[in-house]
Amino acid sequence: MSKLTSDETFQLGNQVRDAAIALGDWRIENRSGLSRLQWDELDDKEITLLNFASSIYTSAIGMVLDDSHTSLSRLQSRVKQAESAIQRIKSFKQALDLASGLVLLAGAIASGNVAEIPASVVALEDAIEAIVSPGGSDET
Amino acid sequence: MVCVSHASNRLWRTLAMVALFAAVLQGCANFKEVSMFASLSAKGAGYDSVTQDYIGAIDRRKQYQPQKFQGELEVLKARREAQRAGLEVLQETITDYMQGVEGLASGNIRTYDKSSKDLGDRLNKAALLDSNEKDAVGALSTLLARSVTAVYRQHELRKLIQDGNQPLQDVVTATRKIVKNGIIPDLQAESALIERYYDNFMLAPGNPAEPVAMALARESKAGELGRVRARIQTAQHYDAVLERIAAGHQYLYEHREMISNDKLGRQFKPYVEALRTAFKDLLDVSR
Repeated sequence: MSKLTSDETFQLGNQVRDAAIALGDWRIENRSGLSRLQWDELDDKEITLLNFASSIYTSAIGMVLDDSHTSLSRLQSRVKQAESAIQRIKSFKQALDLASGLVLLAGAIASGNVAEIPASVVALEDAIEAIVSPGGSDET
Repeated sequence: MVCVSHASNRLWRTLAMVALFAAVLQGCANFKEVSMFASLSAKGAGYDSVTQDYIGAIDRRKQYQPQKFQGELEVLKARREAQRAGLEVLQETITDYMQGVEGLASGNIRTYDKSSKDLGDRLNKAALLDSNEKDAVGALSTLLARSVTAVYRQHELRKLIQDGNQPLQDVVTATRKIVKNGIIPDLQAESALIERYYDNFMLAPGNPAEPVAMALARESKAGELGRVRARIQTAQHYDAVLERIAAGHQYLYEHREMISNDKLGRQFKPYVEALRTAFKDLLDVSR
């Protein structure tokens, strides 16, 4: 006999739960004809069936979790893909900082203000260091 | 002096050309609706009360059952606890994926602005450019950062949505199955358990029908059944949020070639609004 699928297991849980509810309804309707002993015995059966239904639902949920491993792994690798792309954007940003530093240096050279060139070189060195250092210069 | 003036004019011309190029690039890319959808999806998918409630349900049910059933309830509780990590991974993976989509769609602009501000500060320390030129270079760096990466982000977003759609749909389907076919029916079993408990008290043969006790029992029964109904409604609304996430992402997948297009933004807006409404309904019912 083949094993149940998760869908079949969920359906089984529903059938057991509905059987417990039907038993409870019958017990209420016919309570005038029941002794206290019979009433308590049926009550125990009802609780047992409801607990059993919960147990079946738990099993079925476990089966869905097991079945989803492959899809989860594939989705997790897409998350890594997004993170890599975002990291490359940060590198672009750092490269643009470098470009802006170069603009500054070009301005210093074009203006002929030799005394001020060291400040622009510092800006350029900062930008280069941010690109080559592993953590980058960002908070995020 | 002549050399400085000539160099300054050349700088302005260069800045103007680059600014025009950057503005054209930025104008072509509109990721606003995609970013909003991804942000809402990350929040919606991460709503974990429903699954936490499922795990904690067995402790709630102990009060409605005689002592002889406590042993089997402890076993069931341990089995659900063992599923906690798996349930969390399902939700967290959807959330992480959507945060990735949001990161690419928004371009993480705040990082650029911070870096550009640092550059602006450094520029100010250097008496090389006049203040207008310094402001222009600083603003240009920000514009360039957004514009240049817009083309790259568009490419990466298309690739991500293309590759991510099927596994996302599968994971959302699995999560919805757990909620609709497992958690909600289990809450209905809890409702039956509560009804049984109070009916036992009020209707058992030989129990005296003491009016005050009966009235209190009816009131407690109504209150507790109301709480279970609220849990069921919360789970149903969470399922609706997941459904909207799946539908929205499917739409993006089918129209991924238009991902940064204004027209797509307009057509996609109803999907964003539907998700926003579903998420709001979830938050409202769970208060």
